[in-house]
Amino acid sequence: MLRLLPLVRPVIAAFVGVVLIYLVLPTFVVLPLSFSAQEYLSFPPQGFSIKWYQRLAANPTWLDATLNSLMIGIPTALLSMVLGTLGALAVVRGSLVRASLLSALLVAPMMLPHVILAIGLYPVMLELGLLRSHIAAILAHTVIGIPLVFLTVTASLRSYSGSLERAAMTLGANLWQTFWKVTLPMILPGVMVGGILAFASSFDELMLSLFMTGATTRTLPRLMWEQMSDFLTPVIAAAASLVFAFSLVMLGMAALLQKRSSTAGGGAHG
Amino acid sequence: MTEGEIRSDYQPWLISRRYAWLLAAPALFLLVFFLWPLIRVVVRGFVDPSFGLTNYRQILASPVHLKVLWNTVTTAAIVTFLCLLIAYPVAFAMARAKGARLQIMAAFVIVPLWTSVVIRSYAWMVVFQRRGVLNDALSALGVVSEPVRFLPGAFALNVGMVHIMLPFMILPLLANMRAIDGSLLRVAEVMGANPLQSFLRVFLPLSLPGISAGGLLVFMMSLGFYITPALLGGPQHMMAAVLIEQQANGLLNWGLASALSTVLLAVTIAIYLVYVRVTGGSRAASDTLGGGERS
Repeated sequence: MLRLLPLVRPVIAAFVGVVLIYLVLPTFVVLPLSFSAQEYLSFPPQGFSIKWYQRLAANPTWLDATLNSLMIGIPTALLSMVLGTLGALAVVRGSLVRASLLSALLVAPMMLPHVILAIGLYPVMLELGLLRSHIAAILAHTVIGIPLVFLTVTASLRSYSGSLERAAMTLGANLWQTFWKVTLPMILPGVMVGGILAFASSFDELMLSLFMTGATTRTLPRLMWEQMSDFLTPVIAAAASLVFAFSLVMLGMAALLQKRSSTAGGGAHG
Repeated sequence: MTEGEIRSDYQPWLISRRYAWLLAAPALFLLVFFLWPLIRVVVRGFVDPSFGLTNYRQILASPVHLKVLWNTVTTAAIVTFLCLLIAYPVAFAMARAKGARLQIMAAFVIVPLWTSVVIRSYAWMVVFQRRGVLNDALSALGVVSEPVRFLPGAFALNVGMVHIMLPFMILPLLANMRAIDGSLLRVAEVMGANPLQSFLRVFLPLSLPGISAGGLLVFMMSLGFYITPALLGGPQHMMAAVLIEQQANGLLNWGLASALSTVLLAVTIAIYLVYVRVTGGSRAASDTLGGGERS
């Protein structure tokens, strides 16, 4: 590693410290705010109360939005896991011509501004009669969920040789049996991490939800967004804190799965 | 044994062809719900409300629209530059760290990735508002006598956007720096280079792939930002995605929204192709996983 001049090391350390604080600052603004006793937003919050959480629980709109987010996020994750895994198997094991171009196409939805996809999908869903249904949001979110699963499963598949599958098939297993008995156990952590990522991205997605969902199917980010433009109260901070806690649980699950897969020789991604 | 040899000759090919067929399902799905919508956006920009270049003429004739497109590119460029300046030393420190220290730093970088963009932009509103954290701190320190108006504004917008994009710059840089062969640096040292020289002439050039991968990724994703500019930037610093959403959802001007989207799409695709060429595609993207945290 690079040797540093004596003065450089503390300067870098101080700089890195400031940046790390900057990275977590927003989170630690929202959390104390949600326990504020005041009606308006001020920081540091005066007094302590859980009234914003009570107000949150008392308002069925928030519960409905949470249920909608789950009803959209879970099928999105499952559908993304199936389609993303199939894509990864084909690209990694299929020795396709132009495999790198195909993987670039499969990853592309992740890079595209969501607003373009949203205004393109709107008329499509309208014609299919799906607009403002959960299904419209599930299909839209799956488009951006597939790349996440594709990337994690691709990494899992590249971590071991395809000769395992070839051996199983040479011994008489068909593609279906080979998948369930050999491939899936090897890539399961990657599939699961990808599924969690797809769920998390659906759970956080705003733009597609703005165009795909309606009054009865609106998701949590959409509700927060609508509330934010109307009035800034600590109710949003309370909702945000709960969402954050939920995300941390998912992050923990993903990290655990990755750790297990890397000790088992899987190593989903960096 | 000849039979076995023949089988091992053709079987892998047969197996891989069976696997290739699995692509059909995701390909069909993305064809219907990804490529087809994009094609329709592009077509609509030329035919709605009338056939021709009406929408594009309207964009070129409107100083407001041109300003928004210009804002989008300059804001993305500024955010990319700031991210690079901030991320480089952080990735550098992380590449040298080990054990618990590395894990703590990684947690600080990854946790924000898992925090909703809506929530983070909301938090920055709390920080920057008239009676917010920053104004309180500034007046307590006696720097300002009355609250500074940060919202909406370029400063708040840049702080919010850099915050969201920083992990996407740190992670590719880190992946690149960890792969740099340390023996090259030792060689430079043995050959008499001082630390500054071996950084400038060996380490920095070797980290260029990480810089270009992270830079392109951050620039590309910044172009499509919606939430942060809508909340923190205001009308003076409007970006393309906000204008497109406004035209489609608010004004029902779908033709113009489609034309603006086509412009944004063309720029994004161009940068994406360079990015794929530079990084070799999915490998680099998987280093920066954490969700399509944007829009």
